[in-house]
Amino acid sequence: MFKAIEVLQPNFIQRPLNELWQLISPLYKMDEDQWLKELLPLAKPTDSELVSQTNAASSLIAAVRKDDDSMSMIDALLLEYSLDTKEGILLMCLAEALMRVPDKDTADAFIKDRLSVADWASHAKNSDSFFVNASTWGLLLTGKIVTMDENKDGSPANLVNRMVNRVSEPVIRKAMNQAMKVMGHQFVLGRSIKEALSRGKSYRDKGYTYSFDMLGEAALTAADAQKYLTSYEQAVESVGKDTYSQKHRPTISIKLSALHPRYEVGCEERVMTELFDSVKGLIAKARALNVGITIDAEEADRLELSLHLFEKLYRDDVTKGWGLFGLVVQAYSKRALPVLVWLAALAKEHGDRIPVRLVKGAYWDSEIKLCQQRGIDGYPVYTRKESTDVSYLACAHFLLSEHTRANIFPQFASHNAHTIATINCIATQLGATTNEFEFQRLHGMGDALYNRLIKDSDICVRIYAPVGSHKDLLPYLVRRLLENGANSSFVHRLIDASYPIADLIDHPVTTLESRKSLSNPHINLPSNLFDDRKNSFGPNIEIDSDWTPFKAKIDAFMGQDTQWRFYPIVGGQQIKTGHTHAILSPYDHSESAGQLDWADAATVTKAIDLAEAAFPAWSARPAGERADCLDKMADLMEEHYAELIALCHREAGKTIQDSIDEVREAVDFCRYYAQQARSHFANATPYKNFLGQEKHAKLNGRGVFACISPWNFPLAIFTGQIAAALVVGNTVVAKPAEQTSLIACRAIELLHQAGVPGDVLHLVPGNGATVGAPLTSDKRIAGLAFTGSTGTAQLINRTLATRGVAPVPVIAETGGQNAMLVDSTSLPEQVVRDAVRSAFASAGQRCSALRVLFVQADIADRVIPMIKGAMQEQSVGLPYLHSTDVGPVIDKKAQAMLLEHIDRMTKEAKLIAQSELPSFADKGTYVAPTAFEISSIDQLTDEKFGPILHVVRYKARDLDKIIDTINNSGFGLTLGVHSRNETTCARIASRARVGNMYINRDQVGAVVGVQPFGGQGLSGTGPKAGGPHYLQRFAIEQDL
Amino acid sequence: MTIVQPIQIQVAQGIFEAWDSLGVTDRAAKLEKALNAFAPSERNMAAWQIDNAKQSIADTLVLPGPTGERNELSNQGRGPFLCLSLLDGKQTKVGLVGQVFAALIAGNPVITVGPTGQDIMDLITPFVAEGVVQNIAESAQDSLIEANHLAGVAVICDAEQAQQLNQRLAAKGGLICQLIEETDADTLSTISKPHYLLRFVTERTISNNTTAIGGNATLLELGSMND
Repeated sequence: MFKAIEVLQPNFIQRPLNELWQLISPLYKMDEDQWLKELLPLAKPTDSELVSQTNAASSLIAAVRKDDDSMSMIDALLLEYSLDTKEGILLMCLAEALMRVPDKDTADAFIKDRLSVADWASHAKNSDSFFVNASTWGLLLTGKIVTMDENKDGSPANLVNRMVNRVSEPVIRKAMNQAMKVMGHQFVLGRSIKEALSRGKSYRDKGYTYSFDMLGEAALTAADAQKYLTSYEQAVESVGKDTYSQKHRPTISIKLSALHPRYEVGCEERVMTELFDSVKGLIAKARALNVGITIDAEEADRLELSLHLFEKLYRDDVTKGWGLFGLVVQAYSKRALPVLVWLAALAKEHGDRIPVRLVKGAYWDSEIKLCQQRGIDGYPVYTRKESTDVSYLACAHFLLSEHTRANIFPQFASHNAHTIATINCIATQLGATTNEFEFQRLHGMGDALYNRLIKDSDICVRIYAPVGSHKDLLPYLVRRLLENGANSSFVHRLIDASYPIADLIDHPVTTLESRKSLSNPHINLPSNLFDDRKNSFGPNIEIDSDWTPFKAKIDAFMGQDTQWRFYPIVGGQQIKTGHTHAILSPYDHSESAGQLDWADAATVTKAIDLAEAAFPAWSARPAGERADCLDKMADLMEEHYAELIALCHREAGKTIQDSIDEVREAVDFCRYYAQQARSHFANATPYKNFLGQEKHAKLNGRGVFACISPWNFPLAIFTGQIAAALVVGNTVVAKPAEQTSLIACRAIELLHQAGVPGDVLHLVPGNGATVGAPLTSDKRIAGLAFTGSTGTAQLINRTLATRGVAPVPVIAETGGQNAMLVDSTSLPEQVVRDAVRSAFASAGQRCSALRVLFVQADIADRVIPMIKGAMQEQSVGLPYLHSTDVGPVIDKKAQAMLLEHIDRMTKEAKLIAQSELPSFADKGTYVAPTAFEISSIDQLTDEKFGPILHVVRYKARDLDKIIDTINNSGFGLTLGVHSRNETTCARIASRARVGNMYINRDQVGAVVGVQPFGGQGLSGTGPKAGGPHYLQRFAIEQDL
Repeated sequence: MTIVQPIQIQVAQGIFEAWDSLGVTDRAAKLEKALNAFAPSERNMAAWQIDNAKQSIADTLVLPGPTGERNELSNQGRGPFLCLSLLDGKQTKVGLVGQVFAALIAGNPVITVGPTGQDIMDLITPFVAEGVVQNIAESAQDSLIEANHLAGVAVICDAEQAQQLNQRLAAKGGLICQLIEETDADTLSTISKPHYLLRFVTERTISNNTTAIGGNATLLELGSMND
């Protein structure tokens, strides 16, 4: 970590560029307290500076509040419908979705869903804004109409007929759509650049200038990216031809994720060529017309990639000597300061000044959530708002320093009066003139503040203005607003006259230093997400400082010189049987991962003999001791993370992220079951029986458990089953899938190392005939945990039942015919992203994977081509490469079955798309991701366990029939739902017979203890793995 | 070959969704009305099963996880259950009542067998919708056991009968039909345990991305919270 204060020394940016670059990535998840201690001195004012900054802020706010007529409509709307009220959120929900709903029925249902649960009357006449009051009356009226009891009040249409001339549901819908258009009009400057330039004239007359952006959703397809590029080109042309004479010309802001469908670290090669070419062309056009270009900031994972691309573009001849090519830096990022330092050094070295917009950041909650989901051991952003403000001022101090502003043109984007006043004070203090920096604000926000500023000083203020169709832009803008629009935001408090000025002018340094800790104790680090256990850790493969050293450890196991050699493990000893099998890598059958001896019937019997003998002592050990073994196992797996990932790649053909997730799940299973055992198995539980007698029930092991696991989660499910059986007090004989036994052997070694005695846990690798049959037909097996196909589960259940002994627990997780239901209120981009991931991630070889996508017919013609486009962007390839989305399927048998189904569907259904296979596909067992349109789920018989998606169009009115069809399939594992209508989601939830339902997200990747996993009907017996009732089924409940 | 479902299975499947969706509290309210008609020992058993359900499966469990998603775990019935006793004895009817109430309160429609089953059904049916409890003659028992879509069989029997029944159920195609056997007809040591009820339910997880339209209210609140 470098000394932050040193950036103020002029020679700091004279260091070699590469040296400064190295300062950026390590700060990605730097300890927040430690780093803020470094930053605080850069932001901390002297006593006299504090007084002048506070006075300036106070004066500005007072002046703004006097100018209340300049409050913008959006400000007024946000003041009345604060986003911490139900009405505020509902209004935004309507705005986000209503305009894109093409069919009347769904739109009416959505309006009813949103408007019927809020108290609109409380907002009537509260606002001084005509726009707000008009909206309120409209909402109040419609809210009442849609919430009427038809029996009591008559039909809505009848009542409305009485109230207003012939008003009926279509009118409500029309009125609401109109209201949304009005709102869109406020958020969006113009539907075209021409309109935007025209509407923006009045502000330009006041002295403002603009940066226009065609922003919207990220592109998922090449066609969408091309569409956005064309929009930007047209915008550049229009702005270039603009003849309005003013000192500061408008610029264009561009969003890189809109210009390339795979703007991701894993696709760096494409980004640095294809996207580079697109942006270069745009720059050439812009330069010719003297229209500045600014690259917008996006998620933290893409920061380093953005900088690489920026540097390449900046150094290119097309940009050289221009000085109007800039980018945005987010102050909430821990890496903001070293990024600015590097940019300053780059500009100094190259000679062209770089315009840099400093923003606070718009994806804060997404960043936090993503890190929590991925188990990253830190956050890339600050966890307190005041820390971001401190960072902002620290960055501003650097940017306004004399040696920096010669290289960078700072553009300060904020709606916080205190920030603005403080920046002005710092500028004065450092001798920066108003020609050397500018302020920026969002269209529709902060009017009052900047109107005052622009009147009082000769400073450039640029309005960042979205341009495009309301339907396309409003959803995006509303989502950003919701991310940033909490009631605590300054915008809201500034215009709320009841809020004391004194409370608005606290310096962020003062506020932060008054806290007990610099980091926010209310936002736990991802490792501390759970109160009672440690969360598993995952490296971030998008971040160089996190991933490169980790990858080096994996690479040590990736060469052909590393070969694993294993045997059945019985009584803690490896037993050579001579039945040797080579394990070939699914992605290249000329490569092997190692060799394995299969067990035979005698080995199985010996394992059961030992396990039976070991049961009394093991089950008598305190549950806490058994749980300690699992905790130790979890730690050992994290210690051997790299080797386990290499095994996932080489033996199972798993991609990088899938392999990380695999290890994490195994770790979580161990820690979760350990915690569950300590809570529920350590002591007897008192209860009163039906006769009123006081009793104590204790859960005890049953005996020897057979654990039979699949190849698709060769470590996670394998370890999870065994961990559950062991911690309860059972002994275990485990049979892993024959395709993935090496990693299972390694896991058994680690479990023994973790303290599980050799005679308690045994491994008998082999296939169903050689090992499965003798194992499940042995009378001493006291229970079975199985994950695999429905047919195999039935077969094993029959074998167990015919042994002539008492029935034993059969805990079976089996297949599914998983569906996703998508209605027309959903956002197509989210749907396609989630559907493609759910269907094709892990080459579709997940129990939870999406097989049948039901799309409401009204939006199918938008969604299906987008699926096609997104599939064309999928990269099928070597699983250990970051660029690979889809790896091989497990073996030739699976490949043949899938190809046969594709052949059949090609004849019987309509092919939507098929992703391209790599040139080396023949070396392994690859199946191209393929999507077909079919007429009904009835066209499918059984589950096809691979990357094949089926799409069915349905009519909105047939939703219940579709649910019946899904239920009638008999399977009930996962179901995805995409809808903005909560009533629809609730209806589907109440009717669908599935074990795991996912709303407005993908439907794969259940997390232990968070989303307990398991199906109903043909999909499994329950209880759910990773859930609070799982362990009980492995035990017998006995009175003491 | 077309497989004809016994009419009782069809009826049970028809009412299953409505009965299950009532939830434990509403089902308990209905079933509790039937309690007074039962003999004291049977009533105690039935009331105990209902109370146990209220404590252990009624509530939807909100699970911990990342801010910005809501994860809930709840319980549902499995489907039609056949409840019967293959033994005679003083306690078997109490046990049978326990089975029936455990199955019902968990959300399953129930099919009982023979005259004892009829007695139990008669006392419950006034308070629940038609089809929630049905009874069949002993002669029809086999066709029910063989039927697809039978979610489970709760039975009081001896060990050998349990093995035979288990074998018959395992031989069927379709879903793995649960056998919930009580082989201790004297003290009902299985039926009277707290976890017995869990055999009658299936769990469901709902994971809701509450930030789909943007915004993460919980996190924003945490982010701006004072120490």
